[in-house]
Amino acid sequence: MRSRFDEQLLLLNRKMIEMGANCESIIALVAKALLEGKADVAENAAPIGHEIDLMEREIEGICLKLLLQQQPVARDLRQISAALKMITDMERIGDQAEDIAEIITYLSGRTESDCDDIRQMAQACIKMVTDSIDAYVKHDLSLAKSVSEYDDVVDDCFVRVKQMLITMISENTADGEYALDILMIAKYFERIADHAVNIAQWVEFSVTGVHKQE
Amino acid sequence: MTKKIFRSILIVATTVLITSLLIATSFLYDYFKQSEITQLREELSLAAANVDRLGSEYFDGFESDVFRFTLVAKDGSVIYDSQAKPENLENHLEREEIKEAVETGSGSSDRYSTTLTERTFYEATRLKNGDILRISISQATVAALILGMLPAIGAIILIAIIIAMVLSDKMAKSIIKPLNRLDLENPTENDTYEELTPFLAKINKQQQQITKQMKKLRQKSDEFQQITASMNEGLVLLDKKGCILSMNKAAKKLFSANDSTIGSDFLTVDRSVSMNNAIEKALSGKHSEFREERNGSEYQFIISKTESDNETTGVVILCLDVTEAAYAERNRREFTANVSHELKTPLQSIIGSAELLENGLVKPEDTGRFVGNIKSEAQRLVSLINDIIRLSQLDEDKKPDFEPVDLYEVASETVKALSPIADKRNIKINLNGTSCTINGIRRYLYEIIYNLCDNAIRYNKDGGEVNIDIKKEERDAVLTVYDNGIGIPLEHQSRIFERFYRVDKSHSKETGGTGLGLSIVKHAVACHNGTIKLDSTPNKGTTVTVVI
Repeated sequence: MRSRFDEQLLLLNRKMIEMGANCESIIALVAKALLEGKADVAENAAPIGHEIDLMEREIEGICLKLLLQQQPVARDLRQISAALKMITDMERIGDQAEDIAEIITYLSGRTESDCDDIRQMAQACIKMVTDSIDAYVKHDLSLAKSVSEYDDVVDDCFVRVKQMLITMISENTADGEYALDILMIAKYFERIADHAVNIAQWVEFSVTGVHKQE
Repeated sequence: MTKKIFRSILIVATTVLITSLLIATSFLYDYFKQSEITQLREELSLAAANVDRLGSEYFDGFESDVFRFTLVAKDGSVIYDSQAKPENLENHLEREEIKEAVETGSGSSDRYSTTLTERTFYEATRLKNGDILRISISQATVAALILGMLPAIGAIILIAIIIAMVLSDKMAKSIIKPLNRLDLENPTENDTYEELTPFLAKINKQQQQITKQMKKLRQKSDEFQQITASMNEGLVLLDKKGCILSMNKAAKKLFSANDSTIGSDFLTVDRSVSMNNAIEKALSGKHSEFREERNGSEYQFIISKTESDNETTGVVILCLDVTEAAYAERNRREFTANVSHELKTPLQSIIGSAELLENGLVKPEDTGRFVGNIKSEAQRLVSLINDIIRLSQLDEDKKPDFEPVDLYEVASETVKALSPIADKRNIKINLNGTSCTINGIRRYLYEIIYNLCDNAIRYNKDGGEVNIDIKKEERDAVLTVYDNGIGIPLEHQSRIFERFYRVDKSHSKETGGTGLGLSIVKHAVACHNGTIKLDSTPNKGTTVTVVI
């Protein structure tokens, strides 16, 4: 009975890592498309987003089965409940990456590669998602904490992008639609970073049993 | 085993006890019967004497539970019976013991009495008056006697069984004791039951075999470890669940893993989607291969499953660093594309001019220009092919022998050869320095200086200046060619030594040149184990320093 439980926990772990890997790849794909001005990214991003949605259902199923059939306690219970919360955040990351991909198609090839803040934001997001999943994989508390701290970098970037857009509009160097699209993209990146922070906090919870509320 | 021995001993002891009791009882039964009959006879003779003396009155008031007396008349009719009414009884003359007594004076028999439904012993004797006196006793009395002994017998059995239990427990333990004390590590050194010797010998043999095989296995795994440890390629072994069995040094470095990751899921080490898919594909029996960037280098991952007895036991991942190979491949592809393009361009122009001439579309006064055009393009083609031949010569490993060469002399020769072109564009060539003899290949050194100077002149402004410096620094010769020409933009500086790479992407013919010059220089310098340093500022000039 217990060995079956252990097996199911391992399976849960595997699926979580796979889902994390999918999140990483979709963000990397979107960021690359944004910086290189590839308008066809939505087609490539959609299957990964769909895969992430499917995995959310699957992991949910595994978690509920574990909770019902095995009545886990202590650390195992924490791991499973943290997983249940984390997949929601991962699913949101996948959805928002898809949304960015959709906006990129509206940009029709215009790139923001010359804007350092957007690039920095995209890279920071990739780093945060990667780190939060790494923290989960390695049960690394300090890495999880560093993710929460790194959120400030993304927030600063967002503020700078916003200011840049305000100047652009007031000086009439950018049309309104374009500026709004860029703002949306920046906002989505900022949201993705927040979800990464959430994941990191659930990792902390699964290790220590204490969930930090801001 | 102790239990089994204990149980066996107990069962044997109990069986023996009960059997012997039974046998003893049956003997006792006979003895009791015999003594009963004797008693019966004594009683009878006593009673007979009394009846002889007193007649049937003897029985008046007679009471006996144990014995039954019957007085039978000569004719067989019962005169008296101590337990039944005489008138109810039939004629007894036909009874065996009566018959016997009538004939011989005494008789005995035992049979089932139909009246009392018990086995009964009978003794009869003839009285003096001819009547028969019979005495009988039922067997129940014998049985009762034995029954009386039962509690005693039970007690004996109980005590005997308890003693048997204690004893058999001790015996069983003492039998087992040597077995428990067997030293299985050194089976042959035991002093125990003879019957166990074959087993111990067998165990000993198998132990030796196991030790030998373990040693062999350890050697094999050591060999494997050593081979894989010194490999440049990363090698990872996974079991069929995807857990890491072993990883060599290169793989650990590549996946930034350590010893503690061995045994954990490979996903925790590398979770890239393509890797995961490839492993799954390999597990389902298909060989898979893919390329991906890791830590800034390009790697080729070859994944195939391992099998044993037709069963998938896991997966092997081989990681090859193909950065250089990929770079070389890209270069080769570019080179081929460039060569065909470069060769085709002059030919197109030649064909075009020739066609116009052929169709008579050229005015006679222009014919000379067209033919000149064809000639110059053909010359360009030849010089291009020459360059390619020279490059491929340099690519060959066969190097001409080194000889002492005076660099200054070579340089002055070059200046002489190039001065007509330089004069045409009003460019001044200055050669400074002293004679400097080095070991080298004269032709290659000439190529170096020629190509550098040629470039310096070609990419210069009219009225510019080219300086050649030759110095000797310790054991090296330093050749510096600098000009004040158009310079090379920073983003092109890293690539100008590639074949056919030209800053001016249009491959214009205006300046001439094939795009192979600097490539030849690079190769020639490499042949002399030298180094090239490029320092250029756009619109100010370029300095190329070659140290040989």
